[in-house]
Amino acid sequence: MIPETGQFALALALAAALVQSILPMLGAARGNLLWMRSARSSSIAQLVLIGISFVALMRSFVVSDFTVLNVVENSNSLKPMLFKVAGTWGSHEGSLLLWVLILAIFGAGVALFGSNIPDALKARTLSVQAWISTGFLSFLLLTSNPFARVFPPPLDGNDLNPLLQDLGLAMHPPLLYFGYVGFSIVFSFAVAALIEGRVDAAWARWVRPWTLVAWMSLTAGIALGSWWAYYELGWGGWWFWDPVENVSFMPWLLGTALLHSAIVTEKRGAFKSWTILLAILTFSLSLLGTFIVRSGLLTSVHAFAVDPERGLYILGLLAITIGGSLTLYAWRAPAMEGGGLFTPISREAGLLVNNLLLATATATVLFGTLYPLVLEAVTGDKISVGPPFFNATFIPIMLPLVVMMGIGPFLSWKRTDLKGVFQRLRFLAVLMGLAGLATWYVLRGGPVLAYLSVAIAIWLLLATLREWTVRIRLLDVPMSESIRRARNLPRASHGMTMAHVGLAIAMFGFVGSSAWKSEEIVFVQPGSIIEIAGFDVRFDGVEQVRGPNYVADRGTLTVSREGEFVTTLYPERRSYPVAQSRTTESAIRSTLAGDLYASLAEPASETASDQGAWTLRILYEPLVFFIWMGSIMMIFGGGLSLSDRRLRVGAPRRAIKSKIAATPAE
Amino acid sequence: MIWVLFAGLAALTVIIMLDPLRRSEAVAADRIASAVTVHVDQLREIDKDAERGLISTEEAKAAKVEIERRLIALERTKSTTGHFETGGRGALWLSALMVPLIAGALYIQLGSPRIPGVPFADRKEERVEEAQIAELTGRLLERLQGDPEGGQTEGWMLLGQTYMRMGEYADAASAMENVIGRDDATSAILSQYAQALVATENGIVSPKARTAIRRARELDPTNPAATFYEAIALDQAGGSEQAHDLLVARLEQAAGPEPWMELFVAQANRIGEAIGREPVSVATFISATDAPPKPTREDLAAASEMSVEDRAAFIRSMVDGLANRLAEDPDDLDGWLSLGNAYRVLGETDKARQAFETAEALAKNLALDDPRKRSIREALSNLGG
Repeated sequence: MIPETGQFALALALAAALVQSILPMLGAARGNLLWMRSARSSSIAQLVLIGISFVALMRSFVVSDFTVLNVVENSNSLKPMLFKVAGTWGSHEGSLLLWVLILAIFGAGVALFGSNIPDALKARTLSVQAWISTGFLSFLLLTSNPFARVFPPPLDGNDLNPLLQDLGLAMHPPLLYFGYVGFSIVFSFAVAALIEGRVDAAWARWVRPWTLVAWMSLTAGIALGSWWAYYELGWGGWWFWDPVENVSFMPWLLGTALLHSAIVTEKRGAFKSWTILLAILTFSLSLLGTFIVRSGLLTSVHAFAVDPERGLYILGLLAITIGGSLTLYAWRAPAMEGGGLFTPISREAGLLVNNLLLATATATVLFGTLYPLVLEAVTGDKISVGPPFFNATFIPIMLPLVVMMGIGPFLSWKRTDLKGVFQRLRFLAVLMGLAGLATWYVLRGGPVLAYLSVAIAIWLLLATLREWTVRIRLLDVPMSESIRRARNLPRASHGMTMAHVGLAIAMFGFVGSSAWKSEEIVFVQPGSIIEIAGFDVRFDGVEQVRGPNYVADRGTLTVSREGEFVTTLYPERRSYPVAQSRTTESAIRSTLAGDLYASLAEPASETASDQGAWTLRILYEPLVFFIWMGSIMMIFGGGLSLSDRRLRVGAPRRAIKSKIAATPAE
Repeated sequence: MIWVLFAGLAALTVIIMLDPLRRSEAVAADRIASAVTVHVDQLREIDKDAERGLISTEEAKAAKVEIERRLIALERTKSTTGHFETGGRGALWLSALMVPLIAGALYIQLGSPRIPGVPFADRKEERVEEAQIAELTGRLLERLQGDPEGGQTEGWMLLGQTYMRMGEYADAASAMENVIGRDDATSAILSQYAQALVATENGIVSPKARTAIRRARELDPTNPAATFYEAIALDQAGGSEQAHDLLVARLEQAAGPEPWMELFVAQANRIGEAIGREPVSVATFISATDAPPKPTREDLAAASEMSVEDRAAFIRSMVDGLANRLAEDPDDLDGWLSLGNAYRVLGETDKARQAFETAEALAKNLALDDPRKRSIREALSNLGG
């Protein structure tokens, strides 16, 4: 009964989305307040209904109801409870249900918390959101029904891919989707503005919090995914330029550009058309990502051709959404009036360069991701475009961007005295050069690009901190005055500092762990000692252990440094009998300086004489921890900006009240 | 019960959708007024920035002038924005009521309201039963292996069939392997063995399976299972046309509606599509039916001259006759089975399901190993009911 309730709720949600696609849009065109406000109630209805449906599916997973096909295919009665819950979004159908749930959350979010947004804009935005909703709900119901039933039910299920039975990964899709799908509401705002024919500072301010929420979630999702790959795949890498990673990274890059160009639109009324275009393209890339991952195109172009129904449906949605919105853009955008003027040396210009570089970087990643797919489709050749391509193309674009990031915040709007800025930064530039040289002196090995990157990261860190100290006039005025200033600074400003510092810190991690990592892949027998990065690692053998739904070979490694005991590592190789597959569980000793990373590859040989010999992979990756720390700082910086009071201004009634009562108090 | 729940859910949706009717306040958050508020706030911000010394006084002044200019522009557009109306209640009602209707129509297509939810915890009995079967199978295997005579042929076949049902195809094949060389190995035994081999190889007909199929066909050229797998083997070996011919030829030999015909037709059409043959349907091959009341010789002669549509209609009338007879004499288990099969062949799954469900109720008192019980269960699960 519960799965059927979920099914019916989903059907109701689709019907509500259909109504919401039409009525509020009509209302906005005719000035009918009642119809416009129906957007609010139908958004809430959609959230409630899809929420019920999601809970129904989750319950089916939790109680292992094997009359639901999706549960049979992706769960097992023996699976630990946490992964039963996570199994809800572990499959194609479930993850799409999560997709539409998040779509509904953002729609209802605007309906409930967007009291400062004018009725007509809100109605149009929610209507556009409902178009997307209709597309994906129908996709879900017609091609990927999560509530398809089996009767009589099989005795037990097939288990979820054990690679996916991991805490990091259980949380990864929800966050990634939150980011992906979060950009849908920004897209809806952009399309609504095009329909309405008005983009101005106020619009940019209404859109900003939603962009921030989506950006933060996407950052968190990508970071978590990367963390998962790092300790679950057993290769010791945190980013592989894999298509699945790239398709989440592209919306992030463009979303970052959008976040910055929206500031210009808000503060100076410029970049209007560009901001709209970015909003459309960012979500289009999210859709492209969904299409590439969900259509089976990645496994093989042929896999897609064998069962093309789903892929073609998303491709159709993709074509309508992107094609439709870009056509609308081409038609309406030229009518938009230009904004404030600025000189080539100004904050606007700085942000323009930022946007151009980010857009170019996105295009590079897009090319590297799609080229192999297109090539395979046309010629049948399978090639993979990997790290060498991206290192050679992406990094040279990003480094100048990071240099600009240091300078940008010093620039003022409209026009800047470049000489003054250089005077302020001269000292830092020297410092950066010295730091780069010092790194080279200490380490000697490694590529030149790595030293350059370290120097630039130091530059970004110092310049960002310097900008902050200039703002609060640290050391120029008494400390108490500086603290007062810091407290008075808008939160968005602290947020920027935090996020930029976060990127600098993450960069140390990116460079350190790729350029100066040590790696050993060795055959070991109990008693073997491996020396790596100053550690002595002794292999003490492998024993069998049992988990709830797996059995594992667990190795014991005793780590010491200069004769002193440091730690014991227990890498595992797990075998999941139901799903008939294996995973590696790496053992990691994580410190600020670097991670010692061990994973058990495979027994050296099955023969009796070699019993106890194993292939072991040991890595030392300097500064990896900085990546996660930097990512957390970026997310936190976004949160600080989001909490800025100014993002909530604009509700007319409230504003009038505050004018009367609270003006002096501010 | 489930319909009550659905009605409640639908009512809740309609109530939420009608919410705007409750909020009668007609004050609209106007686009221009909202934008003015934002700009006023920006002005205040610049004052504060200047106060803190973040920007110079001249910069602040210039910025303020710019925003004020934008404010004036906004004020100018204000007069052009129209008033808001609050009518249109009818449309709101209509669209809110459309929601359950659309959803209901969709649900009827997609849902399976009659399948209950069965949490794993409620299936102890079934698990116990399954464990018993596993135990019995184990014991049977032991006994057969321990038999100095090599174990009875029926015993090995029962074991093999049980493994097949459990999805242990390789075990099934190796159980059956013990008896296929014996003198009493029938065509059916050989084709079941072939089936197990093909299932083990995920649908690929191995040379070993091909040999078994060939032997099965030598013993009984009409054995449908062997014919079916022979066609698959031919198709896989590149002889799609022969495969198609073979299937159609066997279909033509069929005396009346048989449960395997649908499978044959589906397979023939799958192969036929690739080589450009006209699709066939089950109705084409049913020239006669033994469903009572028996058609007279004249009827049959008439039927053979009929067009395809007419013949289908004739079959229809035969089936309806059977259905009527069963309505008067509902305890005829075999009658219900053939009615169910007939409906299934005609593609009327709902009616087929009903017939099988009636049969299921009648079969309750039969012995556990009665083959009819199994065919009912299989038919029902194929029909998804």
